[in-house]
Amino acid sequence: MQTDNGQVTYLDAISQALWSEMEADPDVFIIGEDVGQFGGAFKVTKGFLDKFGPRRVVDPPMAESGFTGLAAGAALVGLRPVVEYQFADFISAAFDQIINVMARHHYRTGDPMPVTMRAPFGARLRAGPTHSQSVESYFAHVPGLKIVVPGTPEDAAGLLISSIRDNNPVLFLESKYLYRRLRTQGPLSLAPVPLGQAKVVREGSQVSVITYGAYVSECLDVAAELDSEGISAEVVDVRTLVPLDVETIVSSVRKTSRAVVVHEAARRLGYGAEIAAVIQEECFWWLDQPVRRVAALNTPTPTSPPLEDAVVPQAAQIAETVRKVATA
Amino acid sequence: MPPTRARRKTDSKSEPVESRDKQLLLRIFETMVMTRAVEDRMVSMYRSGDLLGSLYTGHWHEAISVGTASALRADDFLAPIHRDLGAHLWRGMDPAQIMASFMGKATSPTGGRDGTLHYGRLDLNIYNLPSHIPDNYPVALGFAFAFQYRDQDGVSLAYCGDGSTSEGNFHESLNIAAAMKLPAIFVVENNQYAYSTPVRLQSAVKEYSVKAQAYGMPGVTVDGTDVLAVHDATSEAVARARAGDGPSLIEGVTMRMHGHAEHDPADYVPREMLEEWQKRDPVALFENVLLEHGIIDEEVATKTREAARQKAIEARKKALADPLPDPATVEQGVYAD
Repeated sequence: MQTDNGQVTYLDAISQALWSEMEADPDVFIIGEDVGQFGGAFKVTKGFLDKFGPRRVVDPPMAESGFTGLAAGAALVGLRPVVEYQFADFISAAFDQIINVMARHHYRTGDPMPVTMRAPFGARLRAGPTHSQSVESYFAHVPGLKIVVPGTPEDAAGLLISSIRDNNPVLFLESKYLYRRLRTQGPLSLAPVPLGQAKVVREGSQVSVITYGAYVSECLDVAAELDSEGISAEVVDVRTLVPLDVETIVSSVRKTSRAVVVHEAARRLGYGAEIAAVIQEECFWWLDQPVRRVAALNTPTPTSPPLEDAVVPQAAQIAETVRKVATA
Repeated sequence: MPPTRARRKTDSKSEPVESRDKQLLLRIFETMVMTRAVEDRMVSMYRSGDLLGSLYTGHWHEAISVGTASALRADDFLAPIHRDLGAHLWRGMDPAQIMASFMGKATSPTGGRDGTLHYGRLDLNIYNLPSHIPDNYPVALGFAFAFQYRDQDGVSLAYCGDGSTSEGNFHESLNIAAAMKLPAIFVVENNQYAYSTPVRLQSAVKEYSVKAQAYGMPGVTVDGTDVLAVHDATSEAVARARAGDGPSLIEGVTMRMHGHAEHDPADYVPREMLEEWQKRDPVALFENVLLEHGIIDEEVATKTREAARQKAIEARKKALADPLPDPATVEQGVYAD
């Protein structure tokens, strides 16, 4: 689904990256509910069954724990499984296999565990409390997992390729809100993007806005708006939550002396708490203002538009916080 | 699909002992005797304070662990639990390394990162499971899947206990294996108790093998103290899996003769029950079979037991002398390169 000038959506970028890895490496296979003939709930694997066949495009019975463990076992003997969870909300059914089987395995034994777990996550689609969750913090606490949260189509492709080639269990959280909303700037590059590197996506001098996932583009819009008011905001896309690129975050905050952390996950013990803690440990004497967090309320994510909008961060709310921190 | 046959034992319909591979019979016997010797030695070690925490033993599970492992090839995968020391020894695991695991030594397969029963070695095609049983069941699916993916005729065999059959992973795994026709074998070691919970509280069915029918795979219940019955049932399941005919379930019925672990006096088990099962020691039963059929004589039996005892003593000495891990390495290896 490419436009005349070669632009593709966030979803197509993921699809093309997966396709190219499956073409390049016969050990890579995809397993998940409805990924076969149906092409997946969001159509990331549309056309894959015809191209790669049922052996490599596996529609298992509806059992997240079972097929996650299957992926772990297959990875231990040299395959490189990519698991698709229909929604990140359903990954809790596989929690035990991810935490106790996959995450600890290399530390316990020295055996590599190359499993990529793709999960569409996040809110703003009016999908309600059990179809809108941000699950990153459940997993960020567990040593042995890597967590990737691309905010742009370019990164979605490059980071997925790196995740599949990585020898560890990687949780790859796809913003389902961005799937068809964002397009690449130009033709898609399938060059790998290294895990563990944050990116300054907009340079600024007065305040650092640190964010990831669907809120990267949101914060860029806010920064552009604030620029017209004479406020210069730098935007840092964290891209990989684990491992965290502390250096890029710290050097940005030491430059601007002010920081706002933005994410869609609930505020309490959201990943922003970790980022804010790192900033105060590393940048305390550079800070002119306390680090602020813009995050969802500590409630489930409701369905109805006015309710959901009241829970997840809105552009005006981000702008207001950044403005305050930058000018106080 | 063959029907479930209750408490299948070796009988007149089984292959006669005399016509079986003598080397195989001897190796099965030696491994069972060794299993018992290592575990008896470790019970002493537990009592004398050599070990870090508790000790999980497989007394009366020897026929299941060795009977199953001996029906596989070395390139088949095993996903054993804490009652299956015999399966590890069958694959060539060093008893000193097993003891080292219970002592947190650097020489344990995990270098002391994990301990107790977590000593499975992937280089022996044995999965090192976490404490969450049957989490090894879904992983065993992956081994089976990889054989199918690569057009290889290998088989993956996973064990669990009667308590594990109540967990979701048990049901998910059996269903997936059958639906995908994976070359998998699921072994339920019914030893009457899941920690203190008796089987009557665990399930409304008396024979766990009937659960196989719900998933569309054959299930069989065998006398878990009869090593040749276990071996034969496993061989049938292996043949089916290698031929591409999918998974099987085998229930081996036995008794957990010790506590859940050695710290547990198991005073919830009726004494009469233990006395009854005491007569059915799988190692002694098999020794008698071999004696009766002239495969071994008393002298060989005695020598085998004594050799195993000496090996277990030597293993203990080695494990005791082995170094503890260096704390400077503690942050290494959380991630693979």
